[in-house]
Formats: sequence, structure tokens, C-alpha cells
Amino acid sequence: MIEEEKKPGFFDGLKSVLYGMAGHDMARFALKTRGSMEHLFILITMGDLLGIPILPPYYSLRLLPYVVPQISTWKRRMLREKDLTDALA
Amino acid sequence: MSLKTIFEQNPNRRYIMFGGKGGLGKTTFSAATAYWLAKQGHKVLVFSVDPQASLTDIFQRDIFGKGPVEIMPNLFAQEIDADQRIKEYQEEIRQKIRNMYGVEQIPEEIENYIQAAAAEPAMEESAIFDEVVDIVVGGKYDYYIYDLVPLGHALYYLSMASVYDEWIDKITHLRQEMAEYGQVAAIMRRDKETEEDKILRELQDIKYRINTSSGILTDKKKTAFFFVIVPEEMIIIDTKKAAGLFAKFDVPISGYIVNRVIPPELARQNIPDYLRNRLEMQKGYLSEIDRTFGSEVLTRVLEFERDITGLKMIERMAESLFGGEA
Repeated sequence: MIEEEKKPGFFDGLKSVLYGMAGHDMARFALKTRGSMEHLFILITMGDLLGIPILPPYYSLRLLPYVVPQISTWKRRMLREKDLTDALA
Repeated sequence: MSLKTIFEQNPNRRYIMFGGKGGLGKTTFSAATAYWLAKQGHKVLVFSVDPQASLTDIFQRDIFGKGPVEIMPNLFAQEIDADQRIKEYQEEIRQKIRNMYGVEQIPEEIENYIQAAAAEPAMEESAIFDEVVDIVVGGKYDYYIYDLVPLGHALYYLSMASVYDEWIDKITHLRQEMAEYGQVAAIMRRDKETEEDKILRELQDIKYRINTSSGILTDKKKTAFFFVIVPEEMIIIDTKKAAGLFAKFDVPISGYIVNRVIPPELARQNIPDYLRNRLEMQKGYLSEIDRTFGSEVLTRVLEFERDITGLKMIERMAESLFGGEA
């Protein structure tokens, strides 16, 4: 990732190639890790949804609006994963 | 030292709390102190953090859920309607979801969660705890008098603050880590900016609120905490225990006030054995109180011939708390 910013065209192409070769996997890994953490986060804050009351529901509610879209995928994942920590490894 | 001198010597202690077991006179003393301070020309708010509040009864005015109500010049009283607060809060959350995702109907699963969360046993306490932040941060009054919940709950209230605090710390940390991974991915993909983490901001705000509320409870410069006791064995034992626990939470205990003392001069009159026995009993426990709490015992308040309700009686109580010798 050492190319110049200004020149379009050739360097743009090079950028994509470099990204595909080196960056893409790392980005994917980072995103995947982040996704796992996101689910861990929802588990901690919204545990009650699965019947695991983890902590203060009063403040959990404040976070609820932000995680609405993730909740159904999260529930599916919770059922699929054998061990949550596997996802973080 | 008398209660009056404590107030005079520590003009910075603006948050006044009375704690003790149920029914010993916390509300009475809160009201009387508020009355006395108001008469001294300070603007005072006395408010209840108890879901079963009794300020309405003592002032003989319906103030429940009405915000700060002026009882007399400079004296305001407030009872938080926890149920109402929770309902409004739930609606706020629903409205936020509607706005954020442009939906009319809250998804069933989410709606169920909102309703279930509100039924949690700690919900009322949490709601009040949260409202207190708004009350004290407002800074409109010279003095804030907390009419506290009975001891057990008060401890819960305190421990809630530290548990919340730790919990928030942990998840804030997790959230920050998540943001780092998000940034890594963004840099790799050469995205312009990562989306600002609204959850993190929300968490930080929650943390601020909790710290404000619990910070006051443990601020030695600004807060005075008084224990209310009566000369009875169980109360003395429980208060000792509670004082130890409160000290662990760094609550600045400013002294003890003994309530419901039967006037000792009655002993010289012709009184029935029943009363004489009670007098004897109290005498024993009063000296035990003095032995246990020593100079921290600020004053003894005599049992009145009737209950304390209405401003007239509150005034008399204020006189016996602050007026006479201690």
C-alpha cells in the first residue's frame, strides 16, 4: 500500500490489484472478527432476549435501537456456534 | 456536635441524605431539614428515591409524579413516578427505532423485549436512579435532600452504581476494540472514514450518568449522610452492619440521629408499668448507642404525642432537630 494518491488510471488499477493480493484477506478477517465481536456485544447487552439476563436492562434498552437489524442474525448464530470463543480465535 | 453546627461548618455539603431502616423517620427528618434550610433562606429540593414514597403524606399535598412542587417559599418537593418514567422511556426507545429504520410497526421480537425488560424487578430503581441525575445536574437548588429508600434497598442502590460502572467499562472496552477492527478493515479497503460508533457514544453517556449519580453519593466534600436510629436492639445491630457496608462504598457518614426517644422526665410522673418498662429499655439502648457510635451521635429526638404530618408538625420537628441543645 505505497502507491501515490493523485494519479488516477494506472495507479487505481494497481491499487485494486494490491488490495486483492494483500489487503482483501486481512480486511475480510478484520470484518469477520468485528462481526463476531458485534455478536458478543449483543449477547452481553441483550442477553435477556435469549433468556440470559446479563445486566441492567434499563440501559440495555438504550442500546436496543442500534442493534435491531443484527438481532435475528445474532440469534441464528448463537444457535449455530458451538463455542462463542471459537468465533474470536 | 449538633446537627446545626454540622450544617454551619460544612456549607459545601449540598447533598443531604437520611438513611436507615424502614419506618424510623427518614422522610420526617428529610422534610424537617428541608423546612429548616428553606427558613434559613436556602432554596431546597427534597425528593424521594423510593418507589413507595411518602413525601405526599408528610406534606399532605399530592405531589406524586408532578415534578418539583413548591410547598412553601424556597421549599420544593418531588416524588418520582417510576412507572410513568419507564413508560415514557419505553416509548422513547420505540420512537427511536421507528425513526432510525423508518418503520411504522416495531418488530414483534423487539417489542416483546422492550416489554419484558420493563418488567424486570430492578427497573423501577434504575429508572429513579437515572432520573436523579437529571435532578441534581440541573443545579437549580442550593440543597438537595434525598429521602432515601430503606437500608437494604439503599445498599442495592449503591452497589448498582458500582456494578453498572464495571459493566459499562467492560463493554465500552469491547466496543473500542471492535472499532479498531472496523478501522483496520476500512484502511485495507481504503474507505474514506469509518462510520462513527453511535453505540460507543451512547455507552459513554450512560457511564457519565452513572458516575454523576454515584459520585455524589460518595463525595465527602459535597455530601452528608445521616443515619436514623431508634433505641431498640435490632435497629442498633442492623445499623452497625449497614454502617460498615456503607463505609465500604465510601459513603461519607456524617452522624447518627436517634429518633423516637420517650421523654425521660415521664419517669418522674405516675405512669403505668408498660411505659416505665419501655423507658427502662430505651435507657439501656440509649447508652449502648452512645457507646457504639460515640460522638457521632448528633441528637436525640423525642417521641411526639402525634404523628408528623403537615407543615405545623414539620416545623416542630425542625425545631427539635436544629433548635434546642444537642
